[in-house]
Amino acid sequence: MKGSHIIFSIVVVAMFAGYTIVFDTFPRSTFSELEKRDLAAFPEFTWNKLFSGDYTKEISSWFSDSEPYRDMFMAWSMEFDEAKRLSIGDDDVKIQISQDNVAISNSQEALGNEVGDEEYQDSLNLEDNAKLANSGIIIAGSGENVRALMIFGGGSKGGGAYAEVVNKYKETFGSKVNIYSMTIPNSIEFYCPEKVKKYSNPQRPFIENVHSLLSSGVKAVDAYTALRRHADEDIYLRTDHHWAPLGAYYAAEAFAKVAGVPFKSLDSYDCRVVKNFVGSMYGYSKDISIKKAPEDFVYYVPTGVDYATTYIVYDVNKNYQVTRESKPMSGPYFYKFNDGSGGAYSTFMGSDKKLTKVETSTKNGRKVLIIKDSYGNALPGYLFYSFEEVHVVDARYFTKNMKRYVEGHKITDILFAFNVFNAYSSSFSKKVERYLSQPDGTTYPADKTDEEKNDTVKLNTKQQESAVEIEDLATENSVDKSEHAGANSKKEKVDSIP
Amino acid sequence: MVFSDLFFLFVFIPLFALCYLIGCWLDNRNVQGVAKQNNAYKNMMLVIFSLVFYAWGEPIYVFLMLICVYINYLSGLWIARSEGGKRRMALVSGLIGNLLILGIFKYAGFFAQVLNDIGLSVGVPQISLPIGISFYTFQSISYLVDVYRRESPVQYKFKDLLLYISMFPQLVAGPIVRYGTVAEEIHNRSVSIKDFSDGAFRFLIGLGKKVILANQFSEIADQFLIDGLGTLSTFGAWIGVLAFTFQIYFDFSGYSDMAIGMGRCLGFHFNENFNHPYCCNSITDFWRRWHMSLGSFFRDYVYIPLGGNRSHQSLNIMIVWFLTGMWHGASWNFIIWGLYFGLIVMIEKYTILRIKDRVPGVLMHIYSLLLVVVGWGIFYFDDFGNMTQFFSSFVGNTVYQSDVIEQGALLDNFWLWVAAIVFSLPIRSRIVGLADRLLPGDNVLKGILFVSARVTVSVAILTLSVALLVGATNNAFIYTRF
Repeated sequence: MKGSHIIFSIVVVAMFAGYTIVFDTFPRSTFSELEKRDLAAFPEFTWNKLFSGDYTKEISSWFSDSEPYRDMFMAWSMEFDEAKRLSIGDDDVKIQISQDNVAISNSQEALGNEVGDEEYQDSLNLEDNAKLANSGIIIAGSGENVRALMIFGGGSKGGGAYAEVVNKYKETFGSKVNIYSMTIPNSIEFYCPEKVKKYSNPQRPFIENVHSLLSSGVKAVDAYTALRRHADEDIYLRTDHHWAPLGAYYAAEAFAKVAGVPFKSLDSYDCRVVKNFVGSMYGYSKDISIKKAPEDFVYYVPTGVDYATTYIVYDVNKNYQVTRESKPMSGPYFYKFNDGSGGAYSTFMGSDKKLTKVETSTKNGRKVLIIKDSYGNALPGYLFYSFEEVHVVDARYFTKNMKRYVEGHKITDILFAFNVFNAYSSSFSKKVERYLSQPDGTTYPADKTDEEKNDTVKLNTKQQESAVEIEDLATENSVDKSEHAGANSKKEKVDSIP
Repeated sequence: MVFSDLFFLFVFIPLFALCYLIGCWLDNRNVQGVAKQNNAYKNMMLVIFSLVFYAWGEPIYVFLMLICVYINYLSGLWIARSEGGKRRMALVSGLIGNLLILGIFKYAGFFAQVLNDIGLSVGVPQISLPIGISFYTFQSISYLVDVYRRESPVQYKFKDLLLYISMFPQLVAGPIVRYGTVAEEIHNRSVSIKDFSDGAFRFLIGLGKKVILANQFSEIADQFLIDGLGTLSTFGAWIGVLAFTFQIYFDFSGYSDMAIGMGRCLGFHFNENFNHPYCCNSITDFWRRWHMSLGSFFRDYVYIPLGGNRSHQSLNIMIVWFLTGMWHGASWNFIIWGLYFGLIVMIEKYTILRIKDRVPGVLMHIYSLLLVVVGWGIFYFDDFGNMTQFFSSFVGNTVYQSDVIEQGALLDNFWLWVAAIVFSLPIRSRIVGLADRLLPGDNVLKGILFVSARVTVSVAILTLSVALLVGATNNAFIYTRF
C-alpha cells in the first residue's frame, strides 16, 4: 500500500502545483465575455482599508474574480448546475427570483456598449412606490426550445412619468409635429408558462394605463396587439432579452398605419441570418441550457430603396453621460455579424451610443425622429420606405437641444419606442425631458483617470454653460443610486413578487 | 482567510508549503549531531503563517489573540509553580482572564441588551466578534485546566504555546484541540507518506463537502428561510430547514475534515469531531457524534467537575446545555436551542434510552432526525418574529401553497439531495470494508484500485471546487461566527 500512498501524494502535489502555476502566473482575466462585465481589479492600498480588513478581503475577491480562464471554469460550474437537475419532461420551468440582479447590474456597462438597456434595473417609479420592474428570470421549456424570460414586476398604475414627458413633447411641438408612443411588451407576456404566471405582472394593464395617461394629441401605437397576433412566430429571441427583428416588423407596421405612411411587406426585404446566436440571457441567467439552445438571428434588409446613414458617435462615461461626440460620419445602417456572435442584436446601427440620421430615396415630405431604448433599434430599418429621413436618438445619449434639432431638421413625426421596463422606469424619461431644455453641445466630464485623479476637473466652455445642469444630474444620480440600492434589498425583492 | 477560497488554496498553501519545507531542511541540518529534534524552524514558519492567516481576516484582533495567548502563557507558568490554594487561585484567575475576554468580545452587547430589556438603561457596546474567539479561548481553558490537573506538562516557551493556540488549520473553527493531544507533537513529530496521503485526501474531501454541497444548500436554505420567508409554504419550510440541516453538517464537518487533514500533513493528529451524526438513533447519540470536541470539552471541564451523574445530575445537564447553546452565539435562540436539547437528553435518560432496544431502529432514527431538524429551525433564526413565522409555516399554519419554487428546489438540485443523503451515511468505511472483504490482505490489485479511486475523487473534487469558487466572495464557514 505504501506505493499507492506515494503515487497519490505525487498526484495531489502535482495537481496543486499545476493550479498554482496557472492561477498565479498566467495572465489574469480582466473582462468576462459571459457576464459582460469588467472583472475586479487589484485593490488600491490604504491604511484604513488594511485596518478594517477590507484590503485583504478585496485581494481575495480580486483573486477569485479575475482568475485565468474564468469563463471556462464558469461554464463548468454551469454544467454542474445542469447536471444536478432531474429533468421531468418538456414543461420544465426554472425560476430565478432576483438572484442574478447583481450580475445584470454589473453587466450594465458592457451591455451599454453592445445591446444595452442599462436602466433595466433602475426601475423605480416614483408614483408606484418601490415596485421592482425586473425581479428575476424564468427559464421555460427544455432542449432546443428553451426560452429565457425576464420577470416584469411593474404594477398597472405605473408609467406616469413617461406619459408626462411624452405629453410635454406634444405641448412643446404642438400641431407641427405628430407625436406617437409605442410601449413594447417583453417576451414573458406571451410565453410565460401557466404555473409561474403569478411571478410576473401582466403588462397589458400597464400599457393601457400609459395610453390612458397620454394627452389627446399623442397617438398611441398598439404594438401589443400586433405582437400578440403573431405570437406563434419568432417575434422574440429566446436567448436574448430583446425582441426579434420580426417582432419589430409587426410593430413598425402598426406604427406606419397610425402615422399614415406607406409600408412595404417583407417581400421587399432581403432576409439575412446570423446562425448560432446565443444572446444576453445566457450571461444573466448563468444557465447552461440557454447556451445549448442557440437560435437563428434573422433580420431584414430593405432592397427597393436607397438610403444613406450618418452617425455622430458618442464617448460615454461611467454614469452613462456623453463626454465627447464625433463629427458626423457615414457608415452602414446594418452591421454584419458572424455566425455565433452573441452581439448580433447590434446589427442595427452597431451600438446605442450614437445619433443616427438615415436619408432615404422616399419622397413624401415626412421625416421621423425615433426616441428609443435598445428595443427601438430594430424599428427604423422598416421605415425607409415610409419617410424621407429617419433620425434615431437613444434616450440615454443626446447632446443637442431637442427643440432646435427637431425644428432644424424639419421633423414631422416623433415616435417614442420604449419597452415596458423603460416606460415603467422614470429614469429614461427624465433624461428625455431634459433634452428639450439643454443647450446644444451638452457634454459631461469623462471618468477620471489615475493621473487626473488629484487634479480639479476643468470644464471647457461648453461644459461651463451647462455646469448647473451637471450638478443637478449629479445629485439626481446619487438619489437614483440609493433608490437602486433600496430596490435590491431583500425585503423589497420579496415584496415585488405578487 | 477562509479554507475554501482560491487565494488560500493557490497562494497561501503553496507559499506555506515552500517555507515549511525550507524550515524542515534547516531543522534537519541543525539536528545533525543533536539527538533530539526540536522543529524550531518548522514551527516558526507555522506560527508566522498562522498569524498571517488570522490577520488576513482580523488585522486588529490578531493582537487580541496574541495578548490572550500571553495571558495564558503566564497563567500556565504560575499554575505550574504553585501548589495547593495558590495553584487553585492561579487557575481561577487564568480562567477568569479567558472568560472575561470572551465575555467582553462576544457577549458584552448581548448582556447590555438583556439589562436594557429588564429596564436598566445601559449603553449597548458595539463590538464586532473576533473570528474564532470561542475556539481559541476554549483551547486556552483546556490548557490551563490540564496543566492544573497535571494531565499535561506546562509550556515554558511562549512561541510554542502560541503555536498550539494559533495553528491555522484549527484556529478559527475547531476542532477544539486539547493541549495534551498535540503537546508532544510540537517538538517531536514525523510525517509518513501515509500521513501525507491520508491528510491530503481528507483535506480534499472536506473541501468538496464545503464547496460542492454546503454552499449549494446554503442557497436553497436562504432562498426559503430568508428571501421567501414572507410567503413560506409548509413544504417550503421543510425544504428550507432540511437544506440548512445538510448545509450546517457539510459546512462544519467539511471544515473539520480540512483541519484534521492539514494537521496530518504536518504531522499533528487531532481528534475526530464528527461521526456521521445524522445516523444517530437518539438525541443523546446525536450529541456523541456531533461536534465531539465541544461535547467532550463540556463533559470534562464542566459536567464532571460539577458532580456529573453523582450529584444533582439534572441541574448539571441543564447547565451544560445552557452553556453549549450560549457558546454558539450571543443570542437567545442559541440558548433556547441548547436548553431544548438539554431537556430532550434528560427526558431520554428516563424514557427512550430504557426502551430503545425494543423499538425498531428506523423509528428511533426518524424520531431523532425530526428533533434535530426542529433544532436547526431554532438555530437558524436569531430573530423571534422570523422564527415564529417559520414554525407556523413548518407545522402547516400558512395560507401559501407550495408551487414551482419548491419543486425547483427539489428537482433542480435532485442529485445534490441524493449526494447529501449518501454522504451523511458512513459510505467510505462501507466501501473500504467491502474492498477488504473482497480482496483480503495487501495486494497489488487493491493498491491500484485504491489509488485510482482516490485520484479520481480528488481530481473531480478539486476541479469542481475551483469552478464553483470562481468569483465566489461570500463563502465563510458558519462556525467561524461562533
